[in-house]
Amino acid sequence: MAAVFNLNHHATYAHWHFFTMSVSNILVIVAMLVLFVVAIAAPFPHRRAAVEEDR
Amino acid sequence: MSAAPAPSRSWTVRVRQLAVGALPPEKLLPDGQPSYVSSWIYVFGVLTLTSLVVIIVSGSILALKGPGWWHFTGIGHFFNSIHLWAVELFFAFMVIHLWGKYWMAAWRGGRRRVWVTGAVTFLVAIPCALTGYVSQQNFDAQWISTQAKDAMNSVGIGAFFNLLNFGQMYSYHVLLLPVAVVALVIGHVLLVRKHGVVPPFPVFDRDEASPGQDPVAPEASS
Amino acid sequence: MTRAERRRVDLVSREWHGPYREYDLVKEFCIALGVVLALALVLSILFSSPDERPSTITSWSRAAPVDFVTTATTELDGSSGTGGYGPPYNHASDGQHMWFIHLQKWLGVSHPVNTAEDFVLAPLRSLTGQPAVQAAVTAYQSATAGQRAAWTTAYEKGLAKATVGPGDSVSVPGGGYGPLPTMMAGLLSFAQSGGLDGALLRSRQFYQTDYTKPLLLLADGGLLADRAQAEHLLGSQWGMMNETGSYPGQVWLWLYTFWYQIKPFSTSANADILVMAVMGALSLLFVLVPFLPGIRDIPRWIPIYRLIWREHYRELAPSRR
Repeated sequence: MAAVFNLNHHATYAHWHFFTMSVSNILVIVAMLVLFVVAIAAPFPHRRAAVEEDR
Repeated sequence: MSAAPAPSRSWTVRVRQLAVGALPPEKLLPDGQPSYVSSWIYVFGVLTLTSLVVIIVSGSILALKGPGWWHFTGIGHFFNSIHLWAVELFFAFMVIHLWGKYWMAAWRGGRRRVWVTGAVTFLVAIPCALTGYVSQQNFDAQWISTQAKDAMNSVGIGAFFNLLNFGQMYSYHVLLLPVAVVALVIGHVLLVRKHGVVPPFPVFDRDEASPGQDPVAPEASS
Repeated sequence: MTRAERRRVDLVSREWHGPYREYDLVKEFCIALGVVLALALVLSILFSSPDERPSTITSWSRAAPVDFVTTATTELDGSSGTGGYGPPYNHASDGQHMWFIHLQKWLGVSHPVNTAEDFVLAPLRSLTGQPAVQAAVTAYQSATAGQRAAWTTAYEKGLAKATVGPGDSVSVPGGGYGPLPTMMAGLLSFAQSGGLDGALLRSRQFYQTDYTKPLLLLADGGLLADRAQAEHLLGSQWGMMNETGSYPGQVWLWLYTFWYQIKPFSTSANADILVMAVMGALSLLFVLVPFLPGIRDIPRWIPIYRLIWREHYRELAPSRR
């Protein structure tokens, strides 16, 4: 089953001093950081249901 | 079935009383959560858990057909892809969950074991993934095993954990380490149920004018 | 924070006495399962997964016969990576250590590999119908240790100027190599025919799942490393984090591979045990975060929690904010 996007080619790498990381890995890390920030910042929906006191 | 209670010398009764005492059904599966559980950061625990479920199910299908299947059939390769991407999702969600729990200092209020079991789960998941990578029976497995063996050998682990031994690595990956991960996750989740989700940091009055007031909960009752 | 204050915070954090909201855990689990399954399916359909074919001794000996013969010669005289490795394969060295801690040596030789015997002499002796090769092996084994060393040293020097001849054979400039050219021609032919892969795998029994010997031989040569370098999988390329092709790799190993890039680890012969020790210590600290003064206080000092629980703090009585 062939993939829609073929990733079986050499990766692109970002370099900074001695630091080297593939663009794919950078995207994963950036996505995780964005997800973390959004998870904290985004409002969480909840029904204004009857509040139960001290279980 | 007599209505009389079993004698307390019964191990069965004692185990049951211990279990139900620690986790009565309404605590094991509560239908409510404290009002402060109101952030998307809270869903990353269950996302990690469900990623583990997908890993195990896809891994079980791969195990059903044997380690060589995915190299020769499209459907096998597809299940291998699901397994690999579920692993990436598992680690991503687990780390975000960890970030959230750290910034909440979720070990407070007697919840240190919750942190410890979670941290150990992360550390055990890493060799679980490693044994998977060296069980792939492709170039990646050849390279990873011949490189990582140096790390294992340097600390003597290589004497009884041979990354170049496919049979051993496959056994660790399919049975031993997943059992360890699942056992740790079960312990972790049961501890969360037992102690409840950690409350927010308390806010204490500067002048301590109301010592009887709960510094954490809003004034919901008199 | 004083101990008394910490105890107080801990006490009030034990149990929640405030309001609860309806929260369907089972439904949440099912929705999360659906989301994760959908994500895994979409990613699999879009990107699939990598599966680069393994190298074999057959393919190696055909693609790089000079490298193969050079490696085999170093296995013969014990100067290969495996030959000089030490435990758990042999006693050629003590292996890595950190101060007085010689774990590699202490755990001993548990997977014995005699590189000359296992990789060269035993496979050659198994060949039938090749009297010239058998005679060469006998001549080699009958020679003194000094004579054998002279032959292998000269041959390795000659191999540095070797060329690939017809049928992927190896031509070496003339020299005093003794029986080595005949032996190595026999071994190369055996490898190229596929026999050496099987012979190394099944050296102990018919049913085999232990690839130690064929993998060690492959790793002693240059083929695996060449492929790895092209894929950015070498240690010096942060390879531990990477995957073949353009796939995301093992991002969670970033800190593990980081140490190998900097001194003293990057130039140390004991890099592996040093990095394992550092990561072992950091892992222990990670597990023990709740007990570590300072580390456990950072979430209070940098109050990201105020953002997480902003609704809760808004609902607190104004006098208590």
